[in-house]
Amino acid sequence: MLKTEELQINIGPQHPSTHGVFRMLVTVDGETLVDLKPVFGYLHRNHEQLGEVNTYLQNMPFTDRLDYFNSMVNNHAYARTIETLAGVEVPERAQYIRVIMDELSRILNHATAMGFMLGDMGAWQTALLWGMREREKILDMFEYVSGARMMCNYCRFGGVVRDIDDWFITELKKLMQGLPHYFDDFEGLLLNSEILLARARNIGVLPKELALAYSVTGPVLRGSGVAYDIRKAEPYAVYDRFKFKVPVGTVGDVYDRFLVRIAEMRESYKILEQALEQLPDATGGFINPKVKQQSLKAPAGEAYARVESPKGELGFYVVSDGSGSAYRYKVRAPSFINLSALADMCKGYTIADVVVILGSIDIVMGEVDR
Amino acid sequence: MTLSHLATEDVFVVERNDADFRAGQGMTKGLGIVFRKFRKALFGKPNSDRADTEGQFNVQYPEERLAMPEAYRNMPILLYDDATGHELCTSCFQCERICPPQVIHITQAKDPATGKPVPAAAKFVLEYDTCMSCGYCAEVCPFDAIKMDHDFELSTANHPELDVDYNRLLRPVSYYETIAPTMWSDVKEQAMKKLQNNIKRRPGDIGRDHGQKIKGGAPVAAAATPAAGAAPAAAAKPRGPVAAIGKNMPEDKTAKLLAIRAANAAKRGGGAADAAPVAQAAPVVEAVADAPAAVSAAPTGPVAAIGQNMSEDKRAKLEAIRAAKRAERGE
Repeated sequence: MLKTEELQINIGPQHPSTHGVFRMLVTVDGETLVDLKPVFGYLHRNHEQLGEVNTYLQNMPFTDRLDYFNSMVNNHAYARTIETLAGVEVPERAQYIRVIMDELSRILNHATAMGFMLGDMGAWQTALLWGMREREKILDMFEYVSGARMMCNYCRFGGVVRDIDDWFITELKKLMQGLPHYFDDFEGLLLNSEILLARARNIGVLPKELALAYSVTGPVLRGSGVAYDIRKAEPYAVYDRFKFKVPVGTVGDVYDRFLVRIAEMRESYKILEQALEQLPDATGGFINPKVKQQSLKAPAGEAYARVESPKGELGFYVVSDGSGSAYRYKVRAPSFINLSALADMCKGYTIADVVVILGSIDIVMGEVDR
Repeated sequence: MTLSHLATEDVFVVERNDADFRAGQGMTKGLGIVFRKFRKALFGKPNSDRADTEGQFNVQYPEERLAMPEAYRNMPILLYDDATGHELCTSCFQCERICPPQVIHITQAKDPATGKPVPAAAKFVLEYDTCMSCGYCAEVCPFDAIKMDHDFELSTANHPELDVDYNRLLRPVSYYETIAPTMWSDVKEQAMKKLQNNIKRRPGDIGRDHGQKIKGGAPVAAAATPAAGAAPAAAAKPRGPVAAIGKNMPEDKTAKLLAIRAANAAKRGGGAADAAPVAQAAPVVEAVADAPAAVSAAPTGPVAAIGQNMSEDKRAKLEAIRAAKRAERGE
């Protein structure tokens, strides 16, 4: 009998497949993983403390830098929190615009998340660029409405900073012409690929109960078979007006998470179609003109608002003491909480699987470390 | 145990492919798609439409460039009026207050005679390296003086250069009009009206005494043509000194004083940092309509190279000769 010895090694923090500066302290027995300790904090930049120093409006561009793939969603979640806190009404049209931006963000996030995951599997750059192409088309449109591709800083309290115009609507319709073909191509290219099946099926299984115990949210939770989506469970903005379904997986492995993301892109497409249809009938302007953006003061109290970010439940918790800036400001970041389940997902699999499992969680270190 | 709390019609289970795979089948199908796309990428139309999922999508930067949307924001710039040279900024400190990373630093201009604040900025420093391009400064500015530029090729090997001062922040209104026509036309009227009111409250040259009014990094072609095409840039805009001279000084005295100072500056080689040959259209400095006459003789660049105490006409003559020679050589 061959005697083996356990070995501790570091993956990261400087490693291309850790999606940023993330370190995993793994204990391996041969190729098999015995234990994994996630170590983060390398990208800590004091976001929550800054949120307590900044005024409410000043903090908006900082939320862009959390999950930098979905700054639109981050802005939405933060604006919603402050609106709840200060009792600001949001016009219907602004809500629709926010929903459109959120769903576009979801499509671009899932397209790139899958691309990155496939890159981790060894499909170096090719699959990623499939996602990047669609992402770039959407980012151009974000740039048009908000002024920046990624750091959009688009939401304001009681609406958005700029209305969407005819150009945007026409381009969005053009984009949506191509999207179903894109989904079909993506599925045709990858779904039955033997490499993907071999690397993803029954790898990194996260059972239902464990997923709930870790408060995992988003596609990771739905991949484990729990039908939980804040857009349905606690409809915010105008999500109760759309017909869409929540895709769930059955096994909870990497493959299920992958399938759930593709299905979610198709659902986002449906929401976009309905939102575009309903947008002309929406009342109100793109922003509530009564709100004093710069000198907004919220009454003493606390508020928590959450949205379904592409990565999971994104929530902001703000305690106000009646002044112009938050007394306590806390971010419930989906990447961070989903990442906590990583160790249990990885145990028993090989070290090559760790990278794929990490990719399937879809983390952004900007959000994990804040 | 049922964990789902959503209505069943809202939920669907994704279809898994749990069959045992036979090596090659799925990948062959995928490769078929790849080849189709590859063919389109090779022979398809370049820079495809947003609706397309096939074709060429790359833009060959820097030869090819995408058009910037008007709302695009990169770094803040400050505007000045083309006609009068007056800066739109009144140092109201709104941008300094809102700036999330606190990178705007303004010093208010003071009337040298009375010491009272004037609606103009004496100093304006912006740290480009720390600016997060959020665009709040442009959003809150009540005078539309600060706007977001579209220029993004700002890389430099000299880090301190990124603390940009007033001189380098200034762009003419006409420049902003070209990059964001509709956004400017929305605010043009009120911005200009406010500026006219502020000009009335600015004594002397306060409010237009900054910079050589650079446009997009390149010197602005002046309204006044340089004399004989070879003389030192004529009608140089007075920088600095005027404000210190005092507004109650008689016109001729100011002019004389300025001439003396200019001569001194020439001796020191001051303002001659950019000693480019005149024939190559040395930095042409914008004319200011009512600048004192003597100021137009203020020597710039080339003078220092010619000789310090040379008289005005001699210098002009020498320059003309040199220019003629250069023309002969075909430069």
